[in-house]
Amino acid sequence: MAGRVEARLAELGLDLPPPFAPAATYEAYVIVGGLVFVSGQGPVWGTEIRHTGKVGRDLDLAAGREAARLTVLNLVVHLRTACEGDLDRVRRCVKLFGLVNCGPDFADAETVVDGACGLLADLFGEAGRPALSVTAAPGLPVGIAVELDAVFEIA
Amino acid sequence: MAGEIDRRLEELGIELPRPAAPVANYLPFVTAGKLVFVAGQLPVSDGEIKYVGKVGRDFGIEEGKAAARLVGVNIIAQVKAACGGDLDRVVRCVKLGGFVNCVEGFGEQPQVVNGCSDLMVEVFGDNGRHARFAVGANALPLGVAVEIDAVFEIG
Repeated sequence: MAGRVEARLAELGLDLPPPFAPAATYEAYVIVGGLVFVSGQGPVWGTEIRHTGKVGRDLDLAAGREAARLTVLNLVVHLRTACEGDLDRVRRCVKLFGLVNCGPDFADAETVVDGACGLLADLFGEAGRPALSVTAAPGLPVGIAVELDAVFEIA
Repeated sequence: MAGEIDRRLEELGIELPRPAAPVANYLPFVTAGKLVFVAGQLPVSDGEIKYVGKVGRDFGIEEGKAAARLVGVNIIAQVKAACGGDLDRVVRCVKLGGFVNCVEGFGEQPQVVNGCSDLMVEVFGDNGRHARFAVGANALPLGVAVEIDAVFEIG
């Protein structure tokens, strides 16, 4: 099934990674009413962790933004399951929470997460623009460089 | 009134504290439609803040997990208040947002936050399974090791 969003992914030359299944007592996403709460995701491809370390020390800004884009694809693959395969059911990205693994003096966390916002806008247009929070973290699970957590509205 | 969940808590030997009052100009929970948004809770027992310090320096993983479990007990106390005292009205735990006060480079936030996730499943069964994030923080309110906020659906 090639919907509008799937076509956009293809235009951008982007494949979605295999969904990463949580390894504890929580779910990849929960649907309540028309909202999909997607669990925190990282820059992984299935079980392979692609971007680890601190942005500004181990990764430059461009690599940090690339990590943020890959993390978005991990949000989207769960979102697609939540929409029973039809990403055109996404009404909007409601909320995005971005965490950047960095040192205490790093001041560009927003620039890193902006990589994620850019891809969401590319995929969903105006509806991809979320309410956004960004925080710097001294450490993230298994050392990933970026973690994103999101709420989407679906039809 | 002793409902099913109250009995479950008793079986687990968990006594819910009086819900903690917010430390500033905000509410401990807000109900919007069927969703209850619980403000970030801390590891409080008998009105006293416990687990002050950083995981990876002052506390090991197991202690961090115990702190997260205690935070979970405080979350359930707030949800009970939001349900007018009847925890059987809980449809499900939708979302947990876990912050772990940790040393630079710490990467085991998920193991710590599992203390709270596991408690939700012990108390609410499959309805306790939720979406979540688990991230590191440089510092948390009152210096606690773990802070967790939550979204619940109630009937």
